[in-house]
Amino acid sequence: MIQLFHVTKYYDGCLALSDISLRIEKGECVLLTGPSGAGKTTLLKLIFGAEHPDEGQILVQNRNIARLGGSDVPYHRRTMGYVLQDFKLLPQRTVSENVALPLIIRGLSSFESRRKVLEALRAVGMDHKLSTIASVLSAGEQQRVCIARAIVNSPIILLADEPTGNLDPQLTTEIASLFKAINTRGTTVMMATHNRQVVEQLNGRILRLDCGHLVSDQGVYR
Amino acid sequence: MKRLWYFIREAYTSLRTHRTSTLIGILTTAFTLISFGIFLLLYHNVHNLLGQVQHTIQIIVYPKNDIESGKLHDLQQGLKTDPAVDSLTFISKQDALTEFKEQFPEEVYLLEGLGESPFPASLILTMAAKTPTTDLIANLVNRLQHHPDIDRVRYNRDWIERLTLIITYMEFGALVVGSILALASVTIIAITVQLAFHTRQQEIEILRLIGATSLFISIPYLIEGAILGAAGAGIALGFLRGGFELFTHKTQGLSVFGGFSSALEFFPLPLSLILIAGGILLGCLGTLTTIYGSLRFRL
Repeated sequence: MIQLFHVTKYYDGCLALSDISLRIEKGECVLLTGPSGAGKTTLLKLIFGAEHPDEGQILVQNRNIARLGGSDVPYHRRTMGYVLQDFKLLPQRTVSENVALPLIIRGLSSFESRRKVLEALRAVGMDHKLSTIASVLSAGEQQRVCIARAIVNSPIILLADEPTGNLDPQLTTEIASLFKAINTRGTTVMMATHNRQVVEQLNGRILRLDCGHLVSDQGVYR
Repeated sequence: MKRLWYFIREAYTSLRTHRTSTLIGILTTAFTLISFGIFLLLYHNVHNLLGQVQHTIQIIVYPKNDIESGKLHDLQQGLKTDPAVDSLTFISKQDALTEFKEQFPEEVYLLEGLGESPFPASLILTMAAKTPTTDLIANLVNRLQHHPDIDRVRYNRDWIERLTLIITYMEFGALVVGSILALASVTIIAITVQLAFHTRQQEIEILRLIGATSLFISIPYLIEGAILGAAGAGIALGFLRGGFELFTHKTQGLSVFGGFSSALEFFPLPLSLILIAGGILLGCLGTLTTIYGSLRFRL
């Protein structure tokens, strides 16, 4: 599903990732842990196609991301979902409009689009707030909508960068449960997190990064 | 369909959100196109007037003295069908003599004892309105001069060349003025769209995050630029039409224009549509200038 071969990345001469090699299978739940600046976000960005590696190769579904042209990147991104800490919703749009955006980009029909939006919102328990403007939602609700938007295209891979960073412990548990449920349905989940509670709850494979180096790779958290 | 609706709604939302900059964009485009339009209107009417003046230009063709009547007929037929020729009048030797006698009755004694008319027969050609460029006339004259049945050709070369030179200068002026104003308009629209573009950076970032292509992101901005350009052109046309009507109304009958004001005309429909299309094109160019650099090299 995802393979990294000796991947190295620098930002303005500073090492962000060093010689990372790993293999992630379909349906795995991978948790990237480590202190700030360890390279968790960089790793996710590389897989997402937002950055190019300076050295090494990245294969996502047998496609070499390192050689992806600028015009191919959007199509690569459509195969995966990305959830961020700061939600990234259009504040003046309704919940359904926000979730429907990836479907509009793909050019789906209105009927199909409505069906998928409803399905995604049901999965995150937000189907009762279809017409609510995003800016009036609570932080937890906004993150749920973000997850709905990330899964509305039924992606094979779901990437998440500190998705519970702005949430209280109660909401963190709820969001972690959502990721767990999504992973249970067969989606490969790769999440960068500091949160021990999330790591325990998701009970996935833990990759620990430190100063750009992969320092440990534990199959399942104990 | 859903995509199209999305694009239109996004463009509308942006125009509505940035009302002030939209208004400034439309008004500056209108101002630019008014300035250009005034020049174009002047050029259009001068070109028309010159065409009318050129219509009075005559080329006098003298067939050979011994030309057979059949060949003379063929020559006349050939000239009548020439696209540069509007009308043809044949003056026979006898007609020329009669004309001389009518115009100079006191000089008739000069012709006494000469027998038949000493004047050559001639063909007087009137040029078709709007067509006589120097090239066209020179081409026609050149052909006539080398015609085996024609003795000589007379026409006012200097006058024609001067008229054509004026038109050439005006065309060059229109090109220079138009280019400068178009550049100004593109810059203004680019700034307007840039403003909208910068205030929507977060939205663009989100669109990129969910796999939107640069084209998908650009289309609402292109529509926005096109609307700005079209609205500006529409206002400019309305303003020009109003100004034109007022001018022709006020100058009607004034001797200073020598009766030319009644011959003035506004842009015909195709030219008006070209002006609107020009506004739309300027709007799109302004948008492209803004978004090309911003979107192309970003992942």
